[in-house]
Amino acid sequence: MIELQHINKTYTRPTGEAVHALIDVSLRIQRGEFLAIAGASGSGKSTLMHIFGLLDSPDGGHYLLDGEDVSGLSVKQQARLRNRKVGFVFQSFHLLPRTSALENVELPLLYSDRGSTRGLGRKALEAVHLSDRIHHRPSELSGGQQQRVAIARALINEPDLLLADEPTGNLDRQSASEVMALFQALNKAGRTIVVVTHDSEVAAHCGRIARIEDGRIVSDHPVPQPKNLMEAAQ
Amino acid sequence: MSPIRIVKHSVRTMARFKLRTGFMMLGSMVGVAALTFVLSAGRAAERKTIETVSRMFGDSAILIEDGGGHFAGGPRGQGSRLKLDDLDALARELPNVESWDPQQGLPGGSVRHGDVTERARVMGESERSEHVWGRKASRGEYFDAAAVKAADRVAVVGETVVRTLFKGEDPLGAEIRIGSVPFRVIGVLEPWGTDPHGMDRDNEVLVPITTLMRRVTNVDTIASAKLLLRNSNDAERTSTEIRRILRARHALAANEPDDFTIITPAEVRGMVAQVQKVLFLYLPLVAGVALVVGALVSAILMLVSVNARTGEIGLRRAVGAGIGDIRLQFLVESAATTIAGGALGIALGYAAARAAASRMHLGEVELITTLLFGIAASTAVGLLAGTIPAMRAARLHPVDALR
Repeated sequence: MIELQHINKTYTRPTGEAVHALIDVSLRIQRGEFLAIAGASGSGKSTLMHIFGLLDSPDGGHYLLDGEDVSGLSVKQQARLRNRKVGFVFQSFHLLPRTSALENVELPLLYSDRGSTRGLGRKALEAVHLSDRIHHRPSELSGGQQQRVAIARALINEPDLLLADEPTGNLDRQSASEVMALFQALNKAGRTIVVVTHDSEVAAHCGRIARIEDGRIVSDHPVPQPKNLMEAAQ
Repeated sequence: MSPIRIVKHSVRTMARFKLRTGFMMLGSMVGVAALTFVLSAGRAAERKTIETVSRMFGDSAILIEDGGGHFAGGPRGQGSRLKLDDLDALARELPNVESWDPQQGLPGGSVRHGDVTERARVMGESERSEHVWGRKASRGEYFDAAAVKAADRVAVVGETVVRTLFKGEDPLGAEIRIGSVPFRVIGVLEPWGTDPHGMDRDNEVLVPITTLMRRVTNVDTIASAKLLLRNSNDAERTSTEIRRILRARHALAANEPDDFTIITPAEVRGMVAQVQKVLFLYLPLVAGVALVVGALVSAILMLVSVNARTGEIGLRRAVGAGIGDIRLQFLVESAATTIAGGALGIALGYAAARAAASRMHLGEVELITTLLFGIAASTAVGLLAGTIPAMRAARLHPVDALR
């Protein structure tokens, strides 16, 4: 359902130096997969995620989302598609300060053309087990809770693809486990998830790991036995 | 992607950042208040000036002052040559002169009634002053030609004099003393308010000019005279004639300067234009600086806010906001804030203008003028403070903003 074909991306540093962030990257992700893109910092994994998330356009190659070539879309069309088909989770949560969990979760609805959106925010918060924190502000929530609010926000428009960039990077072990368990549960329920991480412990929870080094995919294989946190929790 | 939802959302966002919003409102409020105040008070002052000037000079009058030199200050040549005979001659020789009134005064004369002594402007005038200056007696009567001819000791007093000297007592028929000379009050002048020099024109005592010259000031010259013209289009020619006649009568040699000053309607219009220039160019310019500073404060606060909220902008882009949505949000945030501040500024400026107008006797301040000026000023601030930060926010690339 998601396919990158021979993607190239080159940046120019302010100094004029060219950086080849992605070189001839091809990758195919099936619906319902749970993929980790692993790599050191500067390997190009963030650039890959920006292209997956339609935040950036490749210089060359094709990006097929749902069978549709989206590599040449306008900025406006990209924004629409992001709103409908992609959910983002960031390392630093990116919640609006002084704004309740519910309003944060409902933020994507502001830019959506969906008709009735009543009750969606509550439902999304329920899905991340935060029904009792609806009116709390980010400053009144723990790191793990904040990241779960961010996940609820990413899910509110029922996206085809959930993209997480180092989602546990700012969390303690316990909260990190909770977040990964949540991802596993969402994946089990059919959600396609791509996690970008440098942490092999995090990658070990996914169904498949693609390693990236210096802008190239160097290995791509399924994880025989992903660590199952849901069972551990039970 | 309804703009209305984004507008509502933006207003809510501003409400969450009370300190920043408060300072932005303050910035626009001060600027708008300053401009609104100056322009509204200026309008009132202009109306008042034109009203008084036209009442004093009309558009068909020539003023002659004793002493040469320029109008309204400046050095004067040798004076005290202008006499009542000069005026009689002018009236006789110039058919364009319809009527005239000579004046001599005692600026801070002490006027006494019973035990009370007050300072008032004592003016000697002719019986034609009622017609020439367009100011009548509201009670009693004006002195007539016979009284002027006989130098009768009669007086017409202003309302301020009635209040301070008579303290509510009926002044008609009462006796007052100017210096040591007793006069009988025969009339009360209709109220006139303050003149452009800020002088209370109701604190006046008018007496026949002959009486004043002979019994009080003991001079044989007059200070000034106002000539009403039949045809104001001929004012310049009449003024030239007056100059010729007076110079001849005063036996001035060709190289000697005038020992009198003639003020024509054109000069009066020039003076009014000068006042208007001050009221509507220089003062608003100063107030405009306050407005620009207020707008800059708001704009800078908004720019700081955009910088501080880079991550938020990136996130909004990530969840589907278009460039236009971001621009709209920041425009609405600054516009809502500065316009709210502007509304307060209008209220403040209007109140201040009213207070100033009532202190300076400028009459009513038009609310509609104030509103128009204020709304224009607020919009200017809003645009200035909103556009640049909003453009900046919208230009951010989502990938850079999320970093």
